[in-house]
Amino acid sequence: MGRYFLKRFVYSLFTILLISSVTFLMMHSIPGGPFTRERAVPDEILKVLNAKYNLDDPLIVQFLNYMGGVLTFDLGPSFSKVGTSVNDLITSGFPSTATVGAWAVLSIILVGIPLGVISALKQGSSIDYSVMLLATFGVTVPSFVIATLIIYFFAGQLGWIPPFGLSTPQSYIGPVVALSGYSLSFVSRLTRSSMLEVLRQDYIRTARANGLSEFSVIMKHAVKNALIPVVTYLGPTIAAIMTGSFVVERIFAIPGIGRYFVESVSNRDYTTIMGVTILYAAFYVMMVLLVDIIYALVDPRIRFEKESKN
Amino acid sequence: MPPGPERFVRLEEQENTANAETTRPSLTYWQDAWRRLKNHKPAIAGLVGVVLIILFAVFGPLFVRESYSDQNLDFSNLPPTLAIFELAPDYYVFRTEDYKVLRIGGDGEILYRLPRTTQDPIKKLYTYSDGDQDIVLDFSYNLLPGKMDSPFDYSFVYQGNEITAPAKTVLNKNYPFGTDVVGRNLLVRVMYGARISLTVAFVASLVNLLIGVAYGSISGYEGGRIDIIMMRFVDLLNSIPLVLYVILIMVVFGNRGLNTMIIALGSVYWVTMARLVRGQILALKEQEFVLSARALGVPRSQIIFRHLVPNAMGPIIVSMTMMIPSAVFTESFISFIGLGVSAPMASWGTLANDALTGLLSYPYQLLFPSLAIAFTMLSFNMLGDGLRDALDPRLRKG
Repeated sequence: MGRYFLKRFVYSLFTILLISSVTFLMMHSIPGGPFTRERAVPDEILKVLNAKYNLDDPLIVQFLNYMGGVLTFDLGPSFSKVGTSVNDLITSGFPSTATVGAWAVLSIILVGIPLGVISALKQGSSIDYSVMLLATFGVTVPSFVIATLIIYFFAGQLGWIPPFGLSTPQSYIGPVVALSGYSLSFVSRLTRSSMLEVLRQDYIRTARANGLSEFSVIMKHAVKNALIPVVTYLGPTIAAIMTGSFVVERIFAIPGIGRYFVESVSNRDYTTIMGVTILYAAFYVMMVLLVDIIYALVDPRIRFEKESKN
Repeated sequence: MPPGPERFVRLEEQENTANAETTRPSLTYWQDAWRRLKNHKPAIAGLVGVVLIILFAVFGPLFVRESYSDQNLDFSNLPPTLAIFELAPDYYVFRTEDYKVLRIGGDGEILYRLPRTTQDPIKKLYTYSDGDQDIVLDFSYNLLPGKMDSPFDYSFVYQGNEITAPAKTVLNKNYPFGTDVVGRNLLVRVMYGARISLTVAFVASLVNLLIGVAYGSISGYEGGRIDIIMMRFVDLLNSIPLVLYVILIMVVFGNRGLNTMIIALGSVYWVTMARLVRGQILALKEQEFVLSARALGVPRSQIIFRHLVPNAMGPIIVSMTMMIPSAVFTESFISFIGLGVSAPMASWGTLANDALTGLLSYPYQLLFPSLAIAFTMLSFNMLGDGLRDALDPRLRKG
């Protein structure tokens, strides 16, 4: 058991390092340096700039320097925002991104799963149909459309929530709904179908035949087993939340990491692109690891299967 | 009682009755799948939707004279429905949000823009001329104190008559979806956007299919160390947020073309397909028909692509139908953050992004591209769900 976790952890660290190297090489394979402008920069200035950011070193030296920086959590200076480092950008943006993201994950778990369970229990009822209709809507409409609709109706027409920023508690509603919309719908659909599958199983009939109360049949036997595929999906959900933040933060003008990332993409701020990519990838890898560990704890079958396969 | 002929029933009769119950026409796998797909109503609705979108994208642009880049600044930001004022019998005008006045035919045809001759910003009076007649637009009602309480916002003065309310609302005949900020026909742009979005989705899915099937089948068939190494690589790719890498590839390639988008999407998303195919091949390769093919000396590549892959086609097709909408989604997402095809071309995501700036005044500019995305997603998802039920032999019944 312990060996499995250790193995997975080392493997995740290796993944992060590999992602960092690939990102570094990709950004350095772009023709033209980070200071290429439409109007040519004089050679002397270019030389000084390259020397300042150590861009005149051989690629391998730059690579080792950068990787050393990644290992010591130093992602270098930003090329387009003079005087700020990528670390500064991340530390200033992370709190907002993390709060909105945490609320989104929380609402996916606390709203998505119960909705799925309820609609599975009331299969064929009007509750089931309306939940599934809503879930279909959530899966088919892109997050940027949901976000703009929220701004248009709830901020613009009704004036219930502020249209941008995170100044008041109400202002979290829009970003959280837009961010969690897709995954929430997906999770409730997944929970419903897996719940329906579980409810047909023999052990549920056995539990009922043993005279257990309906509540404990549902909560202890059905839901617990139905959640296994949902837990697997939580890893990709985190990816959806993170990449969703690019758009949602831009629309709601939230000063988070996602917005910096989009800005850096359009400004060609290579160090910021690299830094944020590595941060996101590392975060994602760690979350997937966490989900896998939870998964192995919840379902012993999977742990042994994985161990015997390795 | 001794056995005699009267105790036996004639064989033909028995056989006939039994036959009627147990035999049915023999169907191939695909005929059977089609039979089940036909009975699945949402899937057929999805199929119809998919065909409609494809027809819209392929043939739509052939029926319009304009191209996606034709612009007419006189007719910018026109909504799909026009609330028109009747100044004289059968003389209709429309006032745009930015105080242009257009002459409209009674059936919603946009005729021409009336030039503004004088303007009095203090009294909030603009004068427009149509030939020798003057039209005065008084927009002081919703702005000047003392007049704020009046029940209407604007009034037109024409030949001494004051007209305060629109006579009727007509559909915009020239631009059914309205126009964008520089007066380009949104219907045409959504059509060309459909071409781009669908081309990206189909080609990227095809690339994914080819890479995924080849990779997965080789990995699954070879097994052993090759399989472990190949699958470790897939695991590695799978532990990366893929949208990030698509964005990185878009940044690295730099030029914002269709091809870049296809390369970016195609090079990253084959991972799920490879896993799926490998799983199928692992199960299939133990079967006797593979053994007999091998015994007959069929070369490895032929065993894989003639015998194994066709047998795994069902799940592959299902996964392909599911991949197309997610490619549309990803493409629109990337276009929305400004990395899509370059102007004046536009995909649905770009159109939605362009609509953001004028959202409060011109919400219809967001509506149509978003509807197109949602409609595509819904159709492909319903078709994919139905196909999954139809192509899965385990669900075969009756």
